[in-house]
Amino acid sequence: MFEFLSDPNFVQQLEILRSEFLPAAWETIYSLVLQVLFSYAIGLPLGVLLVTGEKNGIRPLPTWLMKSIHGGINLLRSVPFLILMIVALPLSKLLVGTKIGTAATIPPMVIAAFPLVARMVESSLREVSHGVVEAAQSMGASAMQIVTRVLLPEAMPSLLSGGAITMTTILGYGAMAGIIGGGGLGKLAIDYGYYNFKTFVMWVAVIGLIVLVQLIQTAGTKLSKVCDKRLRNRK
Amino acid sequence: MSELIRLQHLSKTFGSGDGRVLALRDVSVSVEQGEIFGIIGLSGAGKSTLVRCINLLERPEEGQILFHGQDLVGLKRRQLREQRRRIAMIFQNFNLLEQRTSLQNICFPLELAGVGRMEAREKAQKLLAIVGLSDKADAYPVQLSGGQKQRIAIARALASDPEVLLCDEATSALDPQTTESILKLLQDINRERGITVIMITHQMSVIEQICHRVAILDQGTVAEIGKVEDVFSNPRTAAGRRLVSPDRAMPSSHWDGPVARLAFNGMTVDRPVIASLAAEKGILVSILGADTRNVDGRMFGTMLISLPEHEEGKRMALEYFNSQTGVTAEEVQRYV
Repeated sequence: MFEFLSDPNFVQQLEILRSEFLPAAWETIYSLVLQVLFSYAIGLPLGVLLVTGEKNGIRPLPTWLMKSIHGGINLLRSVPFLILMIVALPLSKLLVGTKIGTAATIPPMVIAAFPLVARMVESSLREVSHGVVEAAQSMGASAMQIVTRVLLPEAMPSLLSGGAITMTTILGYGAMAGIIGGGGLGKLAIDYGYYNFKTFVMWVAVIGLIVLVQLIQTAGTKLSKVCDKRLRNRK
Repeated sequence: MSELIRLQHLSKTFGSGDGRVLALRDVSVSVEQGEIFGIIGLSGAGKSTLVRCINLLERPEEGQILFHGQDLVGLKRRQLREQRRRIAMIFQNFNLLEQRTSLQNICFPLELAGVGRMEAREKAQKLLAIVGLSDKADAYPVQLSGGQKQRIAIARALASDPEVLLCDEATSALDPQTTESILKLLQDINRERGITVIMITHQMSVIEQICHRVAILDQGTVAEIGKVEDVFSNPRTAAGRRLVSPDRAMPSSHWDGPVARLAFNGMTVDRPVIASLAAEKGILVSILGADTRNVDGRMFGTMLISLPEHEEGKRMALEYFNSQTGVTAEEVQRYV
């Protein structure tokens, strides 16, 4: 029953996996890290702004401005990723000098992900009780001090579990980026497996992604629990 | 004593259109340096709004908030933050930072003010000792009881060496025993550190126990203001009477003779005043309703009693009660 092991097609697939799997996995992780970093670089301040800038926030912004930010985020969130990616390609050319390859996928991925990050951060910060913010205000805290010393630290467990969700979502986008030549496990699954009927390669690549998602989610949840001082058992 | 805070003609509304609520209407109050000033009112009377106006957590639409004669309303953000460090506040729900230990919570206002880490910790340790929780330095709020949380909040409030401590229903979430101990702590702080305390509460007992002066707030206006003894033993307004004689002390409908209200204001509890009236004067009265508390062996609160129908007996009974220390009596109409 193991004759498939000597099937030339299967041997060829093994060969592909041996030479391509690890570089692909590395490329996935590497671009994921970059995408997450850039998405948070834009999304985190934006999420903070969404909370602090609202009408009863600690530093209200003009209503028209808040409305435009909300509208912009919703707009980006509603465009399907594939279309967003293609529309954003000229931007890739501008920023990283090419329209194809892994680097080219990063700007469209960030554009797709930072609005999600902003919403995740927004909802985490809203969990911080208004009373605690008021207490800080009553002690003479500035808006900046409230953000860095109250909102973000108090929301940290929630920010971390939101981070895990964001990362796994970006990982999902990454698979689609294979279409414009972005490398990684997603490309391996689509190019070799799906387009070339090398089903085994496809499944191994998919399993690789599954394992990655599991790892990220487990680590995120664990980290969030460890740093949440509200979960300490009462002495 | 000199004036520390003066609120002048404060007005504040919430919402707009039909949902518009007038929270404060032309409120003027003056608080002296070193006193414990109580503000009492039923819920919705505007007392929380009033206290939150003092440090501008709530901005009044009209009026001035004078602190040492300086109007806080007109201050720039930065100047206001400076002033807020001198006006500390504690809350009904404590509002501790949940991801920080007790010690770190107390260090928090010092961090905000840019005090060095070691110096802040040292001061926080001292404050922990003052509130009697040195052993809880490394405990997180979730590990503390309500009373302990409020103690930490008080220590945190004291960290910036404030001149005023605003207490927004600070004991309302606590059980009676814990309330007592927190009030005692506030009283000590007031006496030993000379910190002016402004207390918002809906609990009569809180005012009776530690406040020097009280303002009764009713529907956004100051109904009465004065020394606690004076206001509580002889409320002049309907709002004052409602507070002093709450529902539980309403006369039963089966008595239609004259009624007197006794206001207990620290009479010793071992004095059997009703029985001695019977023994010494031969006048028999019955208790129609009472809402009294025993605080440190002294009685506070209100009692409604029946009076003799004839004028002579009525007068003698009232005179008798008024000759006792710690209790005042007056005949009352049947207010509903």
